[in-house]
Amino acid sequence: MARRPPMHLLRLQGFSIFHQLKLEERLLRTTSQNWCLINEGTSPPAIVMGISGKPEQLLDVKAVIRDGISVIRRFSGGGTVIVDENTVFVTLICGGDSVPIPKLYPRPIMDWTEELYVPAFRSIPGFQLREHDYVFGDRKFGGNAQSITRGRFLHHTSFLWDYQDARMAYLRHPDRAPAYRVNRQHSDFICRLKDHLPSREVFVDSIVHAFDHQFSLEETDLDAIQKTLTDVPHLNSTYVLSTCQLEESLTQKQ
Amino acid sequence: MRASTARALTSRIARGCQGRGRGGARSGFRVLASKDEEFSPQLQSTKLQMYHSFTRQFSSAQPICGHREALAMANQNSDFPTRTLPSILQKFRGFNSSEVRMPDVEANGGIVEIPLAQTGEGIADCELIRWFVKEGDMVDEFAPVCEVQSDKASVVITSRYKGKVSQILFSPGDIVKVGETLMELMLEGSAAEVGLSKGEPNLSTEIQSIAESKAKSVKSEDGRDHSSVLAVPAVRALAKEHGVDLASIVGTGKDGRIMKHDVLNYVASRENVHDDIQSLNETPLHVKQAPETSEPSVSREYTPVPAEPSRSVFDGADTCIPIRGHRRAMAKAMTAAAAVPHFYYVEEIGVSKLTEMKRALSEGVPLEAGVKLTHLPFLIKSLSMALKKYPLMNSVVDEAVTEINVRASHNIGVAMATSFGLVVPNIKNVQRLSVLEIAAELSRLIHLANTNSLSTEDITGGTITVSNFGAIGGKFGMPILNVPEVAIVAIGRMHQIVRPNETGFDGNEDSERVINVTWGADHRVVDGATVAHFCNEWKLLIEQPERLVLTLQ
Repeated sequence: MARRPPMHLLRLQGFSIFHQLKLEERLLRTTSQNWCLINEGTSPPAIVMGISGKPEQLLDVKAVIRDGISVIRRFSGGGTVIVDENTVFVTLICGGDSVPIPKLYPRPIMDWTEELYVPAFRSIPGFQLREHDYVFGDRKFGGNAQSITRGRFLHHTSFLWDYQDARMAYLRHPDRAPAYRVNRQHSDFICRLKDHLPSREVFVDSIVHAFDHQFSLEETDLDAIQKTLTDVPHLNSTYVLSTCQLEESLTQKQ
Repeated sequence: MRASTARALTSRIARGCQGRGRGGARSGFRVLASKDEEFSPQLQSTKLQMYHSFTRQFSSAQPICGHREALAMANQNSDFPTRTLPSILQKFRGFNSSEVRMPDVEANGGIVEIPLAQTGEGIADCELIRWFVKEGDMVDEFAPVCEVQSDKASVVITSRYKGKVSQILFSPGDIVKVGETLMELMLEGSAAEVGLSKGEPNLSTEIQSIAESKAKSVKSEDGRDHSSVLAVPAVRALAKEHGVDLASIVGTGKDGRIMKHDVLNYVASRENVHDDIQSLNETPLHVKQAPETSEPSVSREYTPVPAEPSRSVFDGADTCIPIRGHRRAMAKAMTAAAAVPHFYYVEEIGVSKLTEMKRALSEGVPLEAGVKLTHLPFLIKSLSMALKKYPLMNSVVDEAVTEINVRASHNIGVAMATSFGLVVPNIKNVQRLSVLEIAAELSRLIHLANTNSLSTEDITGGTITVSNFGAIGGKFGMPILNVPEVAIVAIGRMHQIVRPNETGFDGNEDSERVINVTWGADHRVVDGATVAHFCNEWKLLIEQPERLVLTLQ
């Protein structure tokens, strides 16, 4: 059997998505090891935006300010999501020499993750990577984003185990939508994983099992990670937009 | 180099290059190659870099010589031996008077252009997100200089060289095409760095400022004025290549600087205009029918296009289904299985006695709700009994074919065709289960499969597979292995056959219910004799089901 590169596995539940993103950026930029983070849910709900993108174009900013929803700017590319206790986050951080990808370009990385996930969704027909989304048929259940730095990459996904339509209303229809969406309403475009799998535990176990095909997983915990991390200065791109910044964006829109 | 010497040298070079075109450049080079100055090897290197700095500033001035001529001239000068030529000159291969090849490191006063490198196949441009450096900063080799976004990825761009940021050409939010210059870097150890102490004039900057002022005043070959035109040398060379007057282009870069895309857009728009003009002047394709004359028609005649499309046989449209996800997994799995050398073994098995026993048991045995006692649980249990005698048939083999893993558990997979697609869940540890328990488990798996609710546990860990396609129809099949398993059986539909008695067909023949089974096996690890013996054992247990009693534990 082919040698499986080692990968540290960190499983979390209800961990703050902001702190998760900070940790991910640190692991990507300051370590040379492979990591898998799985976080089942985050609380309170938060909006997470990609590295670029203007709040006034992507959000109902007034409603966001009114309801006190945190808006986080993450360090990876991609679009905007709203996450809560029913979102399952799965992140892969890998060195280029640990994966069978000749060039660390976005598309080959995404295609590789599709193959990685196939065993996890074997029981559900229609699973595929469609443009940049994980779908069953034409219904999206997971969005992806990446960050590529010299010789390493991060790929993270927010899976919709379940969601509330009311929370989705904070997000505007983006200017750049995938072609397969075909102007559908958000509720007609996405689907819930819980409608396809018996339990969240089975889902997470399936993912771990799928990753175990290609990596030798070693489970770890936050304390162990904190002890090994060195205090190396690194690019720190994850932050929470302040209310002032959000209000300023409204001004710019006008 | 002393500042006074540097200034004197610069002045001589400037005077030497005041003439236009080749003569000016040649004169400048002669100054640089002259031996009447006591130049140190370091200064000789500087002289050569300065020469290239001037030749590149003049869009009309071609380098007067390739590196060969430069070397030849240098060899003539004992004070400018070849061994002192900077290594960058060695990279100018094929450098002749009509073609300029841009080396990795431009000897332009030690300034290099850092382009946006390819960030992905098919990606033509990226959005510049932010800079990590500003003009005047020192950067190390491989240090991050900026971050861009392409597709859904943020990508950190690092510097290939060590030096000082001399110019940043894009702002956050700009769209940068792949290959465009992001910034200019003054290399460490370049002319600007040599022998300069704090407070002394920056030679490179001085050369550049002189060069830029020259560029502003020099007229192009066609006599047009290039005054107030800012563009890096690479952009100037591109404009010249396309025969574009820089004065005609509005620069979109900082301070009105003309960028590469400005030139390319101008060229593209110019070509579109030419195409429009050309199309108006072309002879129309639809030629009127030539009059009936004796003279041959000069114009081309075309088959007239009917006004309405012909009626198609059917109105179906082609559909393109990308092979992704589940389909790709299937394709890959089958491709992997196709690489395994299969062999097939076919047998006919009588099931009349089994049918009779099943019927009798079904009437008297209480079953759970939803559980059916079909032939299949009996066939599966019999299979498990036979596997005890021939455990090799219950194996998996690794991809490298280095070992056979003979599994103790009989996890018998059952192929199921559902409305969602083909799935193969397996019944775990059949060797420990009764026929009733197998029937119940089978019913549970069928229900989960039909409701798309099978778990990972249900569909992994199988050791041998049964494909009962006969439930749909068909007598024989050639099943494909469910790798890494080594055996699979396809069971055809039950049908009645009539066997002649000893005297032939006399109306007293016996009819029998039979099924045809086709075994597929991995010939790398299983041979035909093993499969034949195994199948014989299985057949015996099916045709004489009472034998199952003998093996009860």
